[in-house]
Amino acid sequence: MKINRRDFLKATALTSLYFAGFGTPTLASNSPKKNLVVIMLRGGMDGLCAIPIKGDKNFEKLRSKINLDKTLDLTSDFDLHPALTSFKRLWDQNLAAAVHATNIPYTGRSHFDGQNLMETGGKIPYQEKTGWLGRGMNIAGLTGNGLALALPMPLLIRGVPMNNNYYPVGDKLPSNSTLGLIEQAFKEYDEKLLSENLKIVMTRELKNTGSRKNWSLAANAGEELSKPNGPRVAVFEVDGFDTHAAQGGTNGAHADCLSDYNEIVRGLKQSMSKETFDHTLIVTLTEFGRTIKQNGSNGTEHGYGSAIFLAGGLVKKAQVHTDWPGLKRKELFEGRDLNSTIDARSVYASAMSTVFDIEFERIQKNVFWGDKLDNLSDKLFKA
Amino acid sequence: MKNFFRKVAFGIGPNEEVPSDPLAWALNQLDDVPDLTWKGKIPSGKEMIEIHARKNEIELKKVREKYKDDKKLLKIGIKRLNYETGLHFWPSLELSIRHTEAIYSNSPVLAKLWFFWSNHFAIVDGGFRTAFYTGPYQREVIRTNLNQTFEKLVYNVTTSPAMISSLDNGDNIGPKSKIGKKNKKSSSINENHARELLELHTVSPAAGYTQEDIIQLAYIMTGWMNGYSKSTGDTLPVEFNKDRHQPGKKTVFGKTYKSGKKSLENVIKDLVHHPNCRDFIATKLCRYLITDNPTEEMKKPIIKAFKDSDGFLPEIHKAAIRVAFEYNDQYQKFQNPENWFLQMAKLADFSWPTSPTIMDLYEVGRKPQLAHTQPQGKLYDLGHDPYRAKQPNGFSDFEADWISPELLIRRLVFAKDCFELTKSKNNNFKFYKNIVNKNFNNPERIFNYLEKAKKPYEIQILLFNHPEFLKA
Repeated sequence: MKINRRDFLKATALTSLYFAGFGTPTLASNSPKKNLVVIMLRGGMDGLCAIPIKGDKNFEKLRSKINLDKTLDLTSDFDLHPALTSFKRLWDQNLAAAVHATNIPYTGRSHFDGQNLMETGGKIPYQEKTGWLGRGMNIAGLTGNGLALALPMPLLIRGVPMNNNYYPVGDKLPSNSTLGLIEQAFKEYDEKLLSENLKIVMTRELKNTGSRKNWSLAANAGEELSKPNGPRVAVFEVDGFDTHAAQGGTNGAHADCLSDYNEIVRGLKQSMSKETFDHTLIVTLTEFGRTIKQNGSNGTEHGYGSAIFLAGGLVKKAQVHTDWPGLKRKELFEGRDLNSTIDARSVYASAMSTVFDIEFERIQKNVFWGDKLDNLSDKLFKA
Repeated sequence: MKNFFRKVAFGIGPNEEVPSDPLAWALNQLDDVPDLTWKGKIPSGKEMIEIHARKNEIELKKVREKYKDDKKLLKIGIKRLNYETGLHFWPSLELSIRHTEAIYSNSPVLAKLWFFWSNHFAIVDGGFRTAFYTGPYQREVIRTNLNQTFEKLVYNVTTSPAMISSLDNGDNIGPKSKIGKKNKKSSSINENHARELLELHTVSPAAGYTQEDIIQLAYIMTGWMNGYSKSTGDTLPVEFNKDRHQPGKKTVFGKTYKSGKKSLENVIKDLVHHPNCRDFIATKLCRYLITDNPTEEMKKPIIKAFKDSDGFLPEIHKAAIRVAFEYNDQYQKFQNPENWFLQMAKLADFSWPTSPTIMDLYEVGRKPQLAHTQPQGKLYDLGHDPYRAKQPNGFSDFEADWISPELLIRRLVFAKDCFELTKSKNNNFKFYKNIVNKNFNNPERIFNYLEKAKKPYEIQILLFNHPEFLKA
């Protein structure tokens, strides 16, 4: 364990100086489109299971039943969960990174409030009816550019009209003439939302047959994102991170969820053209991390700080970006959780600024109500 | 006014009379909880847990041990065990019982409220739990309490094997209890159930409780668990194990509770009498029946009925139905997929669900036929299998959560495919004209569309996706 806060702050100050004076990058008109993929990890992803700290005896002691017996090597300070093989391959090519000890500014430990806030980006649960991603897309004028790989439309991407979703029904639609009559009825009754959705159904190219496995959904999304006129934003959901019991180490319930994430990354990488992957950023989102200490059922409780995985060609370099708060009792949030020293919304605002080519300040102001956020674009992403 | 029958129930079937006094018709269904209408076998929760779940749990360990070195054999072993315990059959039987109550019973309004409470006190999906626990829980814990007080309902839910399993209260051990002191390393509280008892089941976050309140409530709940022994797994009846109970006083919302079994009953009594609890329940009932955004005016009579009757559910239900009646013409609510499906089945007289005769032909141990698993398959594909809630807050009652291209595709494709469930005698325009007349305020406007259909199955697609049918 070599990392400490002072080193981090020193390095941060230098990079900030170096990049001072550079304006927001602008997209040349003939450049390929840039894509943002957000993978929601529902249930509270355990950042310390995914990216454990090296050589912290106290940490190992607190997790004697759920420690990893084998890991992949990341940095001198951090290891990687062995289920994250595709992530690791990208890491080795400087195409993946992580932000650690981070979370949305929510400390209430409720899944529902937490998931609501991770999607809205707000501070009061259920107050906002749109998602930060939807609002960001709206500012960027990305109407009709969203694709959710889920049956319902996630709150995260609401706030911009005409989003699509894909979760194949496995059957044929009624004939076009029948659909035309329904379209007419929706119009007559002024059902705007239904009309909008029916229009997408009637005009899209996605097949209604096919597998709903993560890899397959990701492969379909990758193909759509690779089309010059295809969507620019995709949203995935992975459930099951709420491991109060039998969390396990290398092979447990948390490992299976991390594998689900890994499969999505693999599917995207394999289905995208090189050029598309080079212009894509894949980020994760969770409501909170989990307690440092295992509980009596070899699981963990709801916590606070977690980690964000970054992957894709727009990742600046392989790194674990963190302002590590430490795991000594007094360094923990409320004496029990990894603290969050980076507002996760800074990462998302920076990601949108990079991918949508919008000034960071504009996103900060119009998506996150002017909340105090740091522009991490130059540290984490390629201009 | 006619859409009221779909708003608070599932509509008027082709052979039913339209009630002359809709409000009285609805209110008369709420005093008693009659026997279930399903004519086939109905397994008890005790049988489901102590025979089938127990066998599954105990044998699974043996299968895993036996085939620990061969993934393929392990898979086959588990599959066989699942047949031997009916794992793939029970959820469809439960859905058949549930849907029969909605479509064929004399108390469809009560059924609609039964569905509401089952979702309010949702059990999280889990293969094992979904198969053996959730169905009997919804019948025996939720439904039988619909003519009791909210307080009794909450207490019975909180001490039910399904909820204890769903929210991990079996892992909630007081660190200072006898067992907690003995096994220091493996004993700690598990806050999950305590938090949801506050947030989702009673007072909601609006009550302003703190993390400390949650911890204190978790202490009160320590010791409540599904009974365990080595030969039965945790399939013995729910018990209060005082050796796991945190000793000492606990304080929730500033009120102190003595240690012991009775403290759970006492704290629930206070939670259900909290003003935020009444407000929360009224909001949720209005949202379910009327609109995404209930007004204070709407909630008021329900809150009053709750308070005046000391949380007597029939009175709360009647108040909610009266409000739904009062606002019937002002608000139409986009129907969730299961409600929509049941309205199709009821109005169009589908051969649905699978008949009791066919369901009773199933023998535990054999692979179920398609007809034996079809109900669960259909509802899952529709995105709304009521026994498979992903989270303890159940399925959403917000309209926007049920509208997306894929969800719309489900409605289009299901309306088409459900033609296989229609009876051939009903495949004529006259039949549909009759049901539209009975159930919709503007039948002529709907006929205009149906007349454009070229084939009987097309009439169904048009009717079931008509804006007036999608809402109620």
